[in-house]
Parts: sequence; structure tokens; C-alpha cells
Amino acid sequence: MKLTMGTVNISDLVREGAVHGDVYTDEAIFQIEMRKIFENTWVYVAHESEIANSGDYKTTVIGSNPLIVTRDSDTDEIHVVLNRCRHRAATVCQQEQGNANYFRCAYHGWTYSNNGDLTGMPFQDGYDEKFDRCKMGLIKVPRVGVYQGFIFASLSEDVPSLEEHLGHARKYIDYVVNTGPDGIALNAGVHKYSFDGNWKLQVENTIDPYHLSVTHRSFFNLIANKTGKKINFSKMHKNEKIRDLGNGHSLYELDGDLGIGALPFNLIIFPNLGFVGSQVRVTRPISVNKTHVSLYPIMLKGVSVEENANRLRKHEGFYGPAGFGTVDDLEVGFDRVMEGLNAKANGAEWLEISRGMNREEIDEDGIITATSSDEVSARALYKEWRRLMTKE
Amino acid sequence: MNGVLIDRKDVEAFLIDEASYLNDGKFSEWLELFTEDAWYWIPSNKDNYDPNTHVSIIYDNKERLGERVWRLQSGLAYGQEPQSRTRHLISNIKVLDQDDQSITVSSNFMIVELRRSIQTIYSGRFEHKLRINGNAWKIASKKIELINNNEFIGNLSFLL
Ligand code: FES
Ligand SMILES: [Fe+2]
Repeated sequence: MKLTMGTVNISDLVREGAVHGDVYTDEAIFQIEMRKIFENTWVYVAHESEIANSGDYKTTVIGSNPLIVTRDSDTDEIHVVLNRCRHRAATVCQQEQGNANYFRCAYHGWTYSNNGDLTGMPFQDGYDEKFDRCKMGLIKVPRVGVYQGFIFASLSEDVPSLEEHLGHARKYIDYVVNTGPDGIALNAGVHKYSFDGNWKLQVENTIDPYHLSVTHRSFFNLIANKTGKKINFSKMHKNEKIRDLGNGHSLYELDGDLGIGALPFNLIIFPNLGFVGSQVRVTRPISVNKTHVSLYPIMLKGVSVEENANRLRKHEGFYGPAGFGTVDDLEVGFDRVMEGLNAKANGAEWLEISRGMNREEIDEDGIITATSSDEVSARALYKEWRRLMTKE
Repeated sequence: MNGVLIDRKDVEAFLIDEASYLNDGKFSEWLELFTEDAWYWIPSNKDNYDPNTHVSIIYDNKERLGERVWRLQSGLAYGQEPQSRTRHLISNIKVLDQDDQSITVSSNFMIVELRRSIQTIYSGRFEHKLRINGNAWKIASKKIELINNNEFIGNLSFLL
């Protein structure tokens, strides 16, 4: 089957060094993304520290599917189940996080254990032997994988192992986990913000150092006034690298401290997970032009309260709904781009992502590298996007 | 606004004056209202916790609050281009605690913000701690408990 958008073929929406504006604005393309991307690859759902104890759970989504991530009360095993009653579809869990042995649907009372099994329903009559209770548990997400405490799930059975999917990105996740003497925890709350724009704008912006000296000039002027040291961005971009790690993942290696967080790199794990500054970033598509973003500050285990507090203050300085950096990205990188995308006349419909194509280097592992003002990361993202969107 | 506050009416007048600085774009004058050791706090996710162990939407000391105001006046704060127009409505004022040097006052607010042709309502509770400084009252802390602090919130680059 060839997927076509009117007369446009999906595979034609991404070409060498350019993407078509419809990928950000077309409702039908968004619906295809939810099925062909979010339901066909590994998606991050929770960190182990969020469900640390037996019976803990967290609700989340993959694409448009509401889910519950639970830690089995008996076996401590992690389950990921659809948050949808097998009777007539009501969600069975309403809280963001908590601890429960059972989820009882408040509509007609079907009750499920926290591994998803259907354990009871009011009034046992009305169903004959054809009704198999064992098959009526909450639907389990077929693949669940944990890498260094990060829990991923895939709604499709047909995906490579999580290790294989993460591939060259694994060692950077290892690095993140090892920044704390006793590991890390995501236990310091969440920054939540929303914008009226397409989800891919936030993912692309996660590795886009080209915009730093322009969009965020006021922030870097502030740092320069304070420290007396002005960043030479042209020199910085020449020293820094961006790498296409494969499978849609990419990496930006910083040259020194930009004053925005602790990690020496930004990492994108396709499709919607990021490691940036001192945070884990999750970008959730809500509709073609609405996106929710959650920033979880990474707390170090085994350090003083003061050290973690300093991380929080630094994070808040640039990120979050009132952070000096985020608010300028919301306006310039998202609102203005969405506005500009309305101009479609006279061949205006393409966006350029070709910067640095002429100076890419490929190593023996197939990792593509160029300098940090180059659009290697966007190209990596759209390579995987196109692969999944056109997969039969 | 100078002089020693003694009753709820004076406190109310102070809060109204503070809000008019914000609504009239007099950010430097607003900043002047804060003591040197002041903090300005918008909690994230819930209203009460230790900001050393939980992230905040804003947890500014005076230095960072000064930077916030500097940025808004720098001509480069794109998050405020176009600028928000705001109106603060303050009511349900209640003195929680008082001695001869300071007063803690709770109030409810509704802030209507207009930006990019969209009107947004923010509501919640302010908690101001005011302290006598020479012969003027200053803000030693301002906490803003948004009722939607656990929701996905929009661009909060204007001053609340
Ligand atoms: S919908 Fe859940 S019990 Fe009927
Ligand atoms: Fe940015």
C-alpha cells in the first residue's frame, strides 16, 4: 500500500536537506505518525525511580494511547498495560502516580490486579463459558524493556531489542546514570509546558545549537555580564560536534559550560526523549498543532542536598514555563514557525535542513559527524521518520 | 506607600500598588519593592514543598529577579515580543501573621493575560511577607500558588 496525502506521497515530504511544511501542519500526517511511528518503535514511558516500590504505578501515554506502568505487587516485575477497561473502555486509573494492588473501574466495577489480570466484576451471572476471564485483562503492551533504569515500551511486537534500538546512544545514557555516585533519580517534580505547535519542533530544537547565539542572546549577554567572559560562538561551533548516532538518535557535544546545565551533551532518543542540561525531556504530541513537554530534573544520588539544589536553580534559570531560555524558544522556535508555515504559496512550502551537508564525516561505525551549527540532528530525525512512515 | 502599615486596608493598598506597577509595565519600580534577601516563588506541581528538593517554575532570589527584569527590558526577550498585557484582580485578603517588623498576608488573585490575541486566565493564591525597612514596607517574599501549577502551562514570561 502506498500512503498518499492527496497527491503528495509521504516519502516525498522529506528530501535531501529539506522537509515539507505539511509534516508540521497536516492533520492526516499526524494521524499516520501516531500509528506508524509511535505505535511501531520503542517509546520511553517511565524511570524506575518513579515506580520504586512494589505496587507503585505511573500513568503515561504512547502516542494517543493512555497507559499504566506498574511494578507488580508480588513479583516486582514491570508491566505496561493500556489504561482502558475491557468492558466499555473507561480509563481505570486516574492518578499520575501512586501505589495500588488493584485498579477498579468506577463505571461498572470490573477490577484488575496491578499486573493487568481481570480479578472480578460485580454480579457473576450474565456471562456463559464462552466468556474467558483470563483473556479479559488490561491489554499488555507487547514489548517492555529497561535500559539503565529507563523503561521503554513498544506497542508493536515487531521491533529489534531495546539495546539494539538504542545502539550507539547507550554509552551516553550510561554516562548520565553514572553522574551520581549512587546513580540518579527523577524524584524532584516536573516542569510542564504546552505550546500550540507540532511536536517535532520541540524535538528538533533539543539539538539545534545554531539558534543559541540568536534566540538566546539575552541569556548569554546576561552570563557574559556576570562572568566577564563572552562566548565566541563562531569558534565554539567549530570545536563542537553533532553526531547522527543512527535509528533517529543524535548527539550534541558541548565545548565547555554554557551555563544551562550539567551534562556535557544533549542527546535525542527517537522519537520523543531527550537528555538536555540537567534534565530528562519528554515531548508528547497532543494534536498536529498542540504539544506537551515534561522536563524531569535529574537528581544525583549520594550527593548533598545543596548540590542537587544548585542543579535545580541552574535548570530553572534557563528551562521551564518561565525559564529565560524556554520562553524565547516557545515564541521564536514554535509560535513564529507555526505562523510562518501558513505561507504555502509560490513554492514556499519547504524548510531547509541542509546546513553542513558539505562537511559531514562518516566513521567506521557509520556515525555521521559535522560541527555544532550544522543540521545533522534534524537530518537524523527525518531519516528515521521517513523510514517508519513509509514502512509497509 | 511609605510609612508603617497597621491594618488590612493598608496592606490592601500596598498589594494594589504592587499590581499596578506590573500592569503598567513599571518593572524597575516593582523590583525596588523587594528586600535584598527577598525571594519570588512560583511552585511547580503542588503548592508546598522544600524548593531544595523539588523543582519550581520560578524560585528567584533578588539577583535572579533583577536579571529577569533586566531581560524583560533588554529588547531581546522574545518570549515577551509581543508583550503580554495583564490585569491583576486581588481579593480575599487575609492577614495570616503579624508582628511589629513584618506581616504575612494571603490573597486570592485572578490575572488576565492577553498575548498573541489570546486571553488567558491565571488564578490562585498569593502569599506576601512584608517587612518594615526604614520607614517603608518591602516585600521579603512573594509566593504564587497557581491553581494550574500541575498542568501543561503556556509561556509564563510575564511577571505575576
Ligand atoms: S466500563 Fe469498566 S466496568 Fe464497565
Ligand atoms: Fe533554545
